[in-house]
Amino acid sequence: MKNIRWGTLVAYIILAIFAIITIFPFVYMILGGLMTFQETTTIPPTLIPKHFQWGNFSKVFAQAPFARYFLNTFITASVTTIVSLFNALLGAFAMVNLRFKGKGVVQALLLSLLMVPGEAIIFTNYNTIARLGLLNTYVGLVLPFLTSVFYMYYLQSYFGSISPTIYKAAKINGASDWEYIWRILVPMSKGGLFTVGLLSFISGWNSFLWPLLVTNEDSMRLLNNGLTAFASDAGSETELQLAAATLTVLPILILYFIFRKQIIRGVVRNDLKG
Amino acid sequence: MKTNQKKAWIFLAPTLLFVTFFSIWPIIRAFIMSFQSGSLINLSWSGFSNYQYIFKDPEFWLAIKNTILYALISVPVALAISIMLAWLIFSKIKNKGLFETTFFMPYVTSTIAIGIVFRYIFNGEYGMLNFILRFLHLPAPNWIDDPAMSLTTIIIFGIWTSLAFNIVILMGALRNIDPNYYTIADMYGASGTEKFWRITMPQLVPTIAFLLTMNIIAAFKVYTSVYALFNGQAGVGNSATTAVFYIYNKFQIVGTPGVAMAATVILFIIIMFVTFLQRKMMKKIGGH
Repeated sequence: MKNIRWGTLVAYIILAIFAIITIFPFVYMILGGLMTFQETTTIPPTLIPKHFQWGNFSKVFAQAPFARYFLNTFITASVTTIVSLFNALLGAFAMVNLRFKGKGVVQALLLSLLMVPGEAIIFTNYNTIARLGLLNTYVGLVLPFLTSVFYMYYLQSYFGSISPTIYKAAKINGASDWEYIWRILVPMSKGGLFTVGLLSFISGWNSFLWPLLVTNEDSMRLLNNGLTAFASDAGSETELQLAAATLTVLPILILYFIFRKQIIRGVVRNDLKG
Repeated sequence: MKTNQKKAWIFLAPTLLFVTFFSIWPIIRAFIMSFQSGSLINLSWSGFSNYQYIFKDPEFWLAIKNTILYALISVPVALAISIMLAWLIFSKIKNKGLFETTFFMPYVTSTIAIGIVFRYIFNGEYGMLNFILRFLHLPAPNWIDDPAMSLTTIIIFGIWTSLAFNIVILMGALRNIDPNYYTIADMYGASGTEKFWRITMPQLVPTIAFLLTMNIIAAFKVYTSVYALFNGQAGVGNSATTAVFYIYNKFQIVGTPGVAMAATVILFIIIMFVTFLQRKMMKKIGGH
């Protein structure tokens, strides 16, 4: 018995150390964003500020258009999520329930596209967007991401687990495909759709390289790009950078804590099958 | 069922349309552009000169060297730590959800924002890390401003960020192992270590192979974390430049898209090769 207890104790200690390493940057970010400049740069480092400097946040909003970044990020992430989910829904339905010539080819094509690294096509996509005159526009920010082969594939595996007899029964009762999708398929796979939506929104919120390429006007920047620009401009004001970082991360962290189960389950399912 | 033909293509149309314009065409275009020189609006054929250029460019080799070193060190270390943590949570902890939620946080949060935080934690003078290292009487290097340290700094940050995904996927795989194996092992009086090496590890092989590939591919694309840690630079004096950094630099800053695309093609081939190896490996193992 003693051996087992020792083992558990050691396990707890190791896990606690790594848990602290994982959480510490978040804690430091939030606390550091509430410090004075002196407190962020003292030796030894300050961990808990003497007085919470809530004013740091209003300074951040005054120095850079963070409200605008928020709006831009929210719009981009939402539009990308809704449209790509819609497209993935229709595509996945066709691949699962309909029979047609060339299905195997389409499937093979989409599967091979899953392996293409985004970084390999992002620069030529930039070229396309630039030629269309869509730099510094919302359309330019979202256009290449309105379809996600990845999420379509995910939904396909989800829809595949719904018995095909339900589709046949709906057809016999005179439902059109469109009605089947909205009246039966969507309500039956709400959980899956919601998870895909969450994951898509989070990755949209955290996107960096694409918006960096296609925007150079301050008013069109997304949060992460605004944040890096702010970090260079407010180079010496450590506490403001940390406050700005907090603003960027906090909405997603809140979303994460509310829906942690769906998110984690979604990722596990997603990637083992992909 | 014949009536389905047209309908199916209509349902697939949006996906196929976007995929053609923003996934397939860009790949073809990248290949074409890698044989062209000049600025974006004024490209002309130049044969293999871009490839000759990058193969002679010491900066390109530094980028490839850094990227490979980053992948070869950060991926196995992160995977080993992840396996240890996942196994400890799985075998010793009752409240698994709490630890899973904690360890997964870095996956959902912006690398840029957290990278900025790490820049201060890593700060040579007043950073928290060096404070702890000095307290333990260990050497406290200048993580950010010393060019010799920049790759190490990126590797540490890379390990920190990649634990999240690994742990959660491994936990999923551990849960899928038939509990009867452990029950039988217990009946024969197997120790914890024996159970780990004889039951858990063999069952985890397909998952580990999958994570290895995913991590290596991600490591070859490392960019954002470098950008965040070094404030838009690739470390002091470009000491920590990576493949994607090189491509971005040649494409956007220097304005030689042909050179950038030649480097992209090379990166693309490397990643395809890794994926191909993984497929072969998985088939040999007889996994999924």
